[in-house]
Amino acid sequence: MKRNLILFVMVFLALAAFREEKDLFIVPDGWPKPAYDFSKNPLSSAKIELGRVLFYDPVLSKDNTISCASCHSSYTAFAHVDHSLSHGIANRIGTRNAPALMNLAWHQSFMWDGAINHIDVQALAPISQHDEMDEDIQHVVEKLKNSSTYPALFFKAFQDSAVTGEHLLKSISQFVLTIESYNSKYDSVIRKESKFSLQENNGYKLFQKNCSSCHAEPLFTNLKFENNGLLVDSTLKDTGRMKVTANNTDSLKFKVPTLRNIEFSYPYMHDGRFKHLADVLNHYTGGVQKSKTLSEKLKTPIVLTSNERVDLIAFLLTLTDKSFLFNPKYSFPRNPEAMNDKVKSQK
Amino acid sequence: MKKNIFILVLLFSFISVMAQNFCVISFQPLFGERKLQLSNAYYQLSSGDSIQFESLKFYISDITFSNKGAFVFKEENSVHLLDASNEKTLHLSVNIPSGLSSDQLNFNIGLDSVINVSGALGSDLDPTKGMYWAWQSGYINFKLEGKSKLCKTRNNEFQFHVGGYLSPFQTIQQVSLKINSTNQINVSIDIEKFITELDLTEINQVMTPGVESVVLSRKLLQLFSVQ
Repeated sequence: MKRNLILFVMVFLALAAFREEKDLFIVPDGWPKPAYDFSKNPLSSAKIELGRVLFYDPVLSKDNTISCASCHSSYTAFAHVDHSLSHGIANRIGTRNAPALMNLAWHQSFMWDGAINHIDVQALAPISQHDEMDEDIQHVVEKLKNSSTYPALFFKAFQDSAVTGEHLLKSISQFVLTIESYNSKYDSVIRKESKFSLQENNGYKLFQKNCSSCHAEPLFTNLKFENNGLLVDSTLKDTGRMKVTANNTDSLKFKVPTLRNIEFSYPYMHDGRFKHLADVLNHYTGGVQKSKTLSEKLKTPIVLTSNERVDLIAFLLTLTDKSFLFNPKYSFPRNPEAMNDKVKSQK
Repeated sequence: MKKNIFILVLLFSFISVMAQNFCVISFQPLFGERKLQLSNAYYQLSSGDSIQFESLKFYISDITFSNKGAFVFKEENSVHLLDASNEKTLHLSVNIPSGLSSDQLNFNIGLDSVINVSGALGSDLDPTKGMYWAWQSGYINFKLEGKSKLCKTRNNEFQFHVGGYLSPFQTIQQVSLKINSTNQINVSIDIEKFITELDLTEINQVMTPGVESVVLSRKLLQLFSVQ
């Protein structure tokens, strides 16, 4: 009897542990299947925690001054609020706006032009980009190997204390993959747990009529590249997707961003040119520039009365997810021992 | 009974090990007749100008053997990064079945598109190996760097980073070589053939996928021969 009891307790504990590891990532009801193949990089809380520590550690940059979180703050949907273009080490300024990060397991390409084909290798871009972290992945690995804390964190995560580029990148992607937003007011309305106000409801109808072909529910992006008719910035001369494909038909196309938490992810567009949602609506209702690659969906002008604009914005604000924005599991790691290393590695 | 099974298993594993053979494929980088050495060795171009090499690294993948035109054996997980600065990476030991008859060795220079879209990978494919493009996902299939006065660039440097997997700019190339042994195969890679085909004054920096990378990747085919 006693033996059975022990067995029972053991099975229960094993199940409990399994369950805990299972809730690390959630596919909300009614959402499509994620694009990310979790079988190739199975989530574990130790790996996610390592990824989180790395995400917040400036050790990834050449002079140990900026971290991923420098431009992707958890409190503003992992966007860089009030900064039109991304910032890097030594006061360098990049050429595009740091996008908000969420629900990335559903994405198959990354960056405004889709230059990155897999989330596991995404971090390599800002790490090596001259105007961002200007560092070399090989050197980052050396720095982490010589740190007093990272080998232990790598061992905890991978049962191997050797720091490798593969493990470094996979742990960062694990943390980033768990950045999920699906608890906005909009989501609770869809789950029939609450109701839109009249104004929000009217805004939702306007959204479905005018915006949802690109900003498709439930991700609020169709994950495609579109030319939304922005006037070309003469200082940046950014041709977008064409830089990757060398194909004229991709000129001026950029990846459609999600609208979730848009209240917090300003400024808007690939170059952060618009500060307010009203500016964005002004663009779509009167500023769209005609060109060969202009999105089919924008060839017929969008018409909105001033009341309708107010309603549409009221709806967009229902995409704010407070439980996401202030979720402690995304904030600066509670046990920041690893961070102290940056001081050592600078010496 | 248990003991018998144990002996049987032991015997079986012994036989299966015996049935395995190694085929050593050794790659020898050359510049014409001379062995290619990095850094301080100088080589002469047909123009009379000198050239030196700083690095030569490339991927060899999907090693297969065929016999009389028919495929006979394929190496599992066949990916190798060869680095001229690290002699041991130039000798590949391939497990082959014993008694394998083969008159042709086939392999790819570079990596296929599946590997290129598989995210962060380990060992020879680890992005810390300097063979991964950070700013636009994908591997560099073949890397050759050095200096020549012909290059009117900073420090007279030339850099050829040949890669790209997306249509229409795929750069993976398949090489087939006639062989007369499956124990030891010596493959030479004559870099002179690559360099003499290029006008270094015009083409000295190719570091992105695209038309130029594709053109260079095709030139790689003729560098490989069995000694």
